[in-house]
Amino acid sequence: MSRFQAQTNAVIEEELDDLRERLGLRANQRADLLREIASLASWVVRQAEAGRSIEARRGRDVEALGNPLLDRLRERRTAGVAGRIALRDSEVERLAAVLDRGFSPTPALRKALSRLAATKRRPPKLRWRDDAV
Amino acid sequence: MPVRIAALTRQHRPLLKGFQNQHASLVEYLQRYALRHAEKDLLARTFLAIDRTAGGERIAGYFTLATASVERRSVSAMEALDRLPQFPIPAVLLARLAVDDRAQGQGLGRFLFEEALGLTIELARTGPVAFRLFVTDAIDGAAVRFYERFGLVRLADGYPCRMVLDLKPLVGG
Repeated sequence: MSRFQAQTNAVIEEELDDLRERLGLRANQRADLLREIASLASWVVRQAEAGRSIEARRGRDVEALGNPLLDRLRERRTAGVAGRIALRDSEVERLAAVLDRGFSPTPALRKALSRLAATKRRPPKLRWRDDAV
Repeated sequence: MPVRIAALTRQHRPLLKGFQNQHASLVEYLQRYALRHAEKDLLARTFLAIDRTAGGERIAGYFTLATASVERRSVSAMEALDRLPQFPIPAVLLARLAVDDRAQGQGLGRFLFEEALGLTIELARTGPVAFRLFVTDAIDGAAVRFYERFGLVRLADGYPCRMVLDLKPLVGG
């Protein structure tokens, strides 16, 4: 174990002990402490993934939870141009069914393809609703 | 003068603030991220539908395309895997498609979708890279019904709802 790692671990141990005491847990309840921390952290991460920010409020005092990892998660949600799309097993099953079936385009897709093949393809002429008022 | 399609550049910046849509995230993306993603980060490219009206030019709609890699979350064995190409599967992501609220219901959404699909098919046929899927995340039920008409299939039930179209039959593979 490197010296840096040992120091980091010691700091974390101290913080965990402090938290355990403040939460009223005994020294032999280390697993309970970690379980609580994991459940709190997972709630926080879920909120960030949903694009929400977390604030502590008392009266007019507001303190926002700031963390670069959470900011990145939140930004990923709002900006959402994902380079990597990770599918759950149920989604993989559906994808397999999509790729399995033969080519049977819907009428709208058939029309879209024929319009795309046409040399002259015109966008619609728009009438803006605020112009009409 | 009819609507014209143009790739978003910084010259369009003055037009961005006039765009309106019922989904704040679609307005926010265009006004806050689209230009950065197109010019600075090179993450995605946005195409604008620009309409010339009596009051000047306006953005009537836009769509954003990006590349994506479709992967699995878990590594457990699955029967369905035998029927799939090997993961990760390369894809083009239709990351955004939106029409200004005041110009909806006149076929611009369909036109923009066709434009996005057309660019994707052209790239798949003649570009230097290969990809198999056209993917989008439908924002609500109306968007799901819109994409289903074009043959996209839902992979999940919640929203945003991930939907895919197999490009293989369309590019003659």
